[in-house]
Amino acid sequence: MSAQTPYSDKRLLIIDDLPDMRSSLRTQISSLAIEKVGMAGTIKEALEQLKTHKYDIILCDYYLAGGTDGQQFLDYLRTKNLIARATLFIMITAETGYESVVTAAECLPDDYLLKPFTAESLRTRFERLLEKKARLAKVDRLQDQGAWLEVTIACDEIIAAKDKYLVDAMRIKGNALVMSAQFAAAIEFYQKCIALRPMPWAQLGLAKALRGSGDVEKSKSVLNEIVSSSPKFLAAYDLLGRIHIDEGKDKEALSILDSASRVSPNSLTRQRSIAVVAEASGDHARVEQAMTIVLKNTKNSPLREATDHAKLINALTELGDTTRAIALITEAKTSFKEVGDIALLSAAEAVTQQKAGHPELAKQALERALQSGVGKLPQSTAFASAKACLANGRQDDAMAILKDVIQDDPDSSTVQGRIADLMKDHGGAEKAQELMTSSAKEIIQLNNNAVGKAKAGEYATASKMLAEAAARLPNNMQIVSNAAFSLLVDVFMNGMDAAKVREALTLQQAVLKKDGHHPKLVDIANILAKIKQKYSLTDNP
Amino acid sequence: MSFADIAALTIHDVKNRLAHLAGLAEGRGDTETLRTALEASEALTHLLAFYKSENGILNLVVNDHSPSDLLVELANDTKGLRAILVDVDHGQAPTLWFYDEVLVRMVLSNAVQNAFRYARERIVISAIEQDECLEFSVHDDGAGYPDSVLVDSGASAAVTRDGTGLGLRLAKRIAEMHKNQDRCGDTRLYNDNGAVFKLILPK
Repeated sequence: MSAQTPYSDKRLLIIDDLPDMRSSLRTQISSLAIEKVGMAGTIKEALEQLKTHKYDIILCDYYLAGGTDGQQFLDYLRTKNLIARATLFIMITAETGYESVVTAAECLPDDYLLKPFTAESLRTRFERLLEKKARLAKVDRLQDQGAWLEVTIACDEIIAAKDKYLVDAMRIKGNALVMSAQFAAAIEFYQKCIALRPMPWAQLGLAKALRGSGDVEKSKSVLNEIVSSSPKFLAAYDLLGRIHIDEGKDKEALSILDSASRVSPNSLTRQRSIAVVAEASGDHARVEQAMTIVLKNTKNSPLREATDHAKLINALTELGDTTRAIALITEAKTSFKEVGDIALLSAAEAVTQQKAGHPELAKQALERALQSGVGKLPQSTAFASAKACLANGRQDDAMAILKDVIQDDPDSSTVQGRIADLMKDHGGAEKAQELMTSSAKEIIQLNNNAVGKAKAGEYATASKMLAEAAARLPNNMQIVSNAAFSLLVDVFMNGMDAAKVREALTLQQAVLKKDGHHPKLVDIANILAKIKQKYSLTDNP
Repeated sequence: MSFADIAALTIHDVKNRLAHLAGLAEGRGDTETLRTALEASEALTHLLAFYKSENGILNLVVNDHSPSDLLVELANDTKGLRAILVDVDHGQAPTLWFYDEVLVRMVLSNAVQNAFRYARERIVISAIEQDECLEFSVHDDGAGYPDSVLVDSGASAAVTRDGTGLGLRLAKRIAEMHKNQDRCGDTRLYNDNGAVFKLILPK
């Protein structure tokens, strides 16, 4: 019988396409007294396993059959939140060259192992990694809760201990300062880290903090430095790209994303961001190129997405290749069965069929797009549906859809640009402007009504109005921040209500995440402090 | 497809087979076969790394690591595979240092393999901070390096059938790739009641 080890109770998943490798890994694992072991030969099987069990450790081979590699799979798991921060993900590879893939990756595995290795080596590695997880467990939990202030305090304890997790704690602390919008403190902290050693993560943190504090030019210059000194550090390219997009410089954004994709040609996330920028700037050939790569890499894989197909269908239609677009629609229809996916694909189809000279098919597709569009449409589907309505002569429906999009994301130059683009042949700039003005007026009216109610002492009514609006327009930071504030005022005036405070805190987090220096955040922090004082709360409510 | 591409794919395939072989041998407790499979695989890793460094595509990924952890790992990797013991002396090792762990592990593991060939009873691996540098040492109690190897830390040592020269050259290159401010790393070979291999990495 195997001896008890500190990890005997852990659940472990092996992902490898070679049956021989799976069985020898399995033998090694059982010699470590780990009994709860799942096995998967494909990504599909792995996803099924992850759905049924909560795994503590995942051992995944970098090379997986079927076009998708282990790194793309890890990116997918992390971006879709399919594994917890506490889950250990270990990549197995046959060569040392993997580290360059790793640095260029979006999401880092906890470690990677060069094969072959003995059970003894595996044991040493597990112990080391689990020791680290245990040391950082409190910090991880606080991060999961978004309790950034507490995260910085917990990190300070580790930093003061000066043990081998010092740099890990520094990295997490810096991020917590940025997340809680303490930009001045973050800038100072990162500068100290850089003085210790110019580590790329600290330089990136500095760039984020500078951007948050409003010093975009300095932020850009730090990012350019990272790109030249650590050309494999792709997060710097991404942030630089985002800054260019915010400034409406699509060409610069595309060029920086292009250089990033040369460093990491297999990153699906990056090809997807290229397509988003290219689509916004009307560069359909570029969209076609990027999406063809993504579709090729995700063909027959559970990682395929309807939005990728819709983008390619749209690009092909714009490029006049309706034959290929229709073939792709037929193929996509067999792969995607979810309501939201059908809405998106049908909207794309409605435009394609109209352009291909099949008005009847276009009409049917549009009906499908609009009737299945229950609830709130994601922005991409909304644009596709509006475009389909315009192409099929249903201008009023298009206007109603676009109004929601504008009200949800009123300050986005991308949204405004896309609307102007859509309306080019349907009333032009004048009509687009009219739509934006009337949409903005409605929001002002809503805010004024709520303020009126609050002034009349009807705090509960005001907070209810704004909270409902925030649910409808989760990206409208003016509405969301006002909703958080008015919920807290309501609590302050009318008495403690834990549910309302929780809702307000969620909204506050949403604002912090999207715009760390939103002016309303100060008011929210002040009223929170008053609530704590009034109800004698020591901790966060 | 170039010869280099085909060679890389073949090496990858052979390594998979060696991994399978190692797994089978380990499963039935066949230590000798396991050790041979691991060593063969390590030789291929060296070959590939050397090829990359020749072509300027061996990338360095420097991060914070614990030298003690690495030493313990290296000693554990040989557990049960060898009659000779590897002692770890990490009493004076700094808590953290910055280096590429994969490449440094490869260099030290190779130095330990060499030491096994000449050691009589024991090998000591250690890490210590000296003059703002981290010094990893692998010290055996064998007959020591011949003069021909000592000349320039083995950088021009002939590549012998057991691959010793290749390992030493690669070690020097990897050491030199580790740079901070004006300093760069180095390797040193000398004799002191046996052979001593040092890998020196700047702060």
